[in-house]
Amino acid sequence: MSQLDIVDVTKIYDPKTNPVAAVKSLDLSIGAGDIVALLGSSGCGKTSTLRMVAGFEDITHGLISIAGRDVSRLAPAARGIAMAFEGYSLYPPMTVRENIGFALQSARVATEEITRRVDAMANMLAIESILHRYPSSISGGQQQRAGLARALIREADLHLLDEPMGQLEPQLRALLRGRIKHYLKERGSTAILVTHDQTEANALADRIAVMENGTLQQYGTPGELRDRPANLFTGTFVGEPPMNVLTATPVIEGECVRLLLDGNVTLDYPLGDFSVAIRDILASSSSIAIGIRPHAVRTGASGTGASIVVNQWLGDQSHLAVEFAGTTVVAVAHERVPGTRGDTVHIAFSPDDLHWFDAENGRALAHGRETADPAGGLIADPANGPKGGRT
Amino acid sequence: MTQRTYKAADTMLALSNITRRYGRDTVLDDVTLDVPRGETLVLFGPSGAGKTVLLRLIAGVVEPDGGTVFIDGRDVHGVEPEARGIGMAFQNFALFPHLSAHENIATPLYALGDDVSKRAARVERVAKLLKIDHVLKQNPGALSNGQKQRTSLARALVAEPALLLLDDPLRNVDAKLRFEMRLELPRLLAGLGTTVVYVTQDYKEAMALGDRIAVLVDGRIEQIGTPGEIYLEPATRQIATLFGDPAINLLDVEPVASEHGPTVSLSGQQLVLDSSLAHAIGRPCVLGIRPESIGFADADDPEAIPVTVEAETPLNEKIVDLVTTLRGREILVSRPVHMPGPASTSVHGASIRGASAHSTSAHIVIPTGQALLFDRETGRRILAEGEQRQAGHRQAGQRQAGHRQAGHRR
Repeated sequence: MSQLDIVDVTKIYDPKTNPVAAVKSLDLSIGAGDIVALLGSSGCGKTSTLRMVAGFEDITHGLISIAGRDVSRLAPAARGIAMAFEGYSLYPPMTVRENIGFALQSARVATEEITRRVDAMANMLAIESILHRYPSSISGGQQQRAGLARALIREADLHLLDEPMGQLEPQLRALLRGRIKHYLKERGSTAILVTHDQTEANALADRIAVMENGTLQQYGTPGELRDRPANLFTGTFVGEPPMNVLTATPVIEGECVRLLLDGNVTLDYPLGDFSVAIRDILASSSSIAIGIRPHAVRTGASGTGASIVVNQWLGDQSHLAVEFAGTTVVAVAHERVPGTRGDTVHIAFSPDDLHWFDAENGRALAHGRETADPAGGLIADPANGPKGGRT
Repeated sequence: MTQRTYKAADTMLALSNITRRYGRDTVLDDVTLDVPRGETLVLFGPSGAGKTVLLRLIAGVVEPDGGTVFIDGRDVHGVEPEARGIGMAFQNFALFPHLSAHENIATPLYALGDDVSKRAARVERVAKLLKIDHVLKQNPGALSNGQKQRTSLARALVAEPALLLLDDPLRNVDAKLRFEMRLELPRLLAGLGTTVVYVTQDYKEAMALGDRIAVLVDGRIEQIGTPGEIYLEPATRQIATLFGDPAINLLDVEPVASEHGPTVSLSGQQLVLDSSLAHAIGRPCVLGIRPESIGFADADDPEAIPVTVEAETPLNEKIVDLVTTLRGREILVSRPVHMPGPASTSVHGASIRGASAHSTSAHIVIPTGQALLFDRETGRRILAEGEQRQAGHRQAGQRQAGHRQAGHRR
């Protein structure tokens, strides 16, 4: 059963004088107990969506229901949600402890129980030493964690978290991600998280909704986004470093597939490396976009020679940018690759690692040996989706 | 005022015994540092370490309580920020909202007395370099985050400062843009020959961009070195933890003597450390093992250590397994997605603490040659016997070592 349904929701700001569509015909369902991340760059519509769910923004068109109840016209307080928002500030005259425990106090939870639960929450978010302080005397990162604690401690039909760790330093963020996920999962809470940080989305969320220009680009598990990106946007937005894209003219000559790239570079593969469906796609395309993840680019003694532009070693991996076919291709190796600017490395792409996209509209045509899901990976109902992945 | 000069001609920036206090807090404690001409030096450290104060001090916005800042050989005590020949860019971009991108970029040029056409030419040039020449007429409100960030960088570069100070400039942009700039910045800066002090909290950025990295902790420089030195030979346990994702595993051990050399015990398996660490025998130590150096193995491998796999979590293109030893010690193991995992049994659930995961038994192998050993009390790395002299040299000869690297970019 779904806990949140967003049905055909559109948000237009300033409709009379200067209409701006922030969210366009959005359909999204979140199953009970699922954690979903809304991921996108600034201005993509993710925060507008969250604010409509919270009730801070009117819905121009469409419907939002929480736990089977239409909440589209309800005030925020009547929606049964707990939220941690940027700027949704702590009450200044109360200590951090009083702020975190406030909702429990209103719900007439026994005092010792409140103390116990606030202590456990503060311990989880590493703010136990500031419980006696007032909001004005603590740092921005501490305020953010106090706000998060106040939201997480509540029983609610839905938890809304807006960039909940944006102000924290990386080590602390990495630690808290695991703890927050564990906490939400243990209680079976349903949560939506808005973030521009894909590491956070991947680590915390069961499913990720990728948005751009007010439109949902893809809704799937982290694995689906990685292995079966619905279009070039998702393919290049999700993944670190971003996916390489090359434009090719495919030519089938006898038992050989030849991909003509810019700069007179060609990639040759035996025809048998491709499924019949992909051969058909290649035969009918005069131009095709090929995506290849940096981690899938093989560097070594064999393959096509390419000139190193940048070689950065990050401890457990090397990031190389090389000049190849008139563009820059990024390769990641899990060992330290020797070589510096101007040196030649050889790179190769395995046919299984290639993603094929329509060169004009960017829609995925095939991934590796499989043809793409005709629905483009947009699975409206996670419970009934073909790759639901829920247990 | 007497203007002392600093002799080394190839040193762009020299900090000599800098101390800065706020009230009773010492935020910078005896910081000494040389940055050769053309080098990108990354100032790295946790928040509150003093990175931004140090940057402001170089810029001239605050003055030190003790010590001297030399820029291009000149003691800049009392010299106004505008007169220090510095360009700066910040994480929040700090653009004037009512000015166009062009006007924002041009602001440092007014102080130089350039005429209108010369100003325009310089703005165009730097905008082209940063690929924002097509948005120069727009105000910051109409720019994307990436364009704002490039505009802010263009403003820092336009007057061709000899010294560029960048305060976490990529913090507020998304992963794709951050990665693009990570590849583009070194090329750009090398082309301009600018000396850069770059502040970041992101260790990957520090390793990717820094010719050298200075690690600042509690107002002190704990280590200065190339990215390789910092990662492979961290001076302290804390530095080892700050570099690497997932973070290095730290296990309390007390090496004992055996016929093969100094030995520690883990899940019933004896791990023999390098004989050059024999002086650590009998000392309370912490063994540091990077998650990526640990591998899964078959049970019949003579070096196999039995563990329980508690949870498996994806991290970018890696898989991270949380395993526990027989005594319940937690160890993180990371591997590329395509590498085989623990046996063939699949592990479901992704909770770090493992509540929702189904546990399964497996075996790991720890290559002790790559392990680091720290003194449990001081947190300092226990150096191998041959290494001690070298490290001593490095401290004494830091200045010279820095100079030799002038202009050599990786």
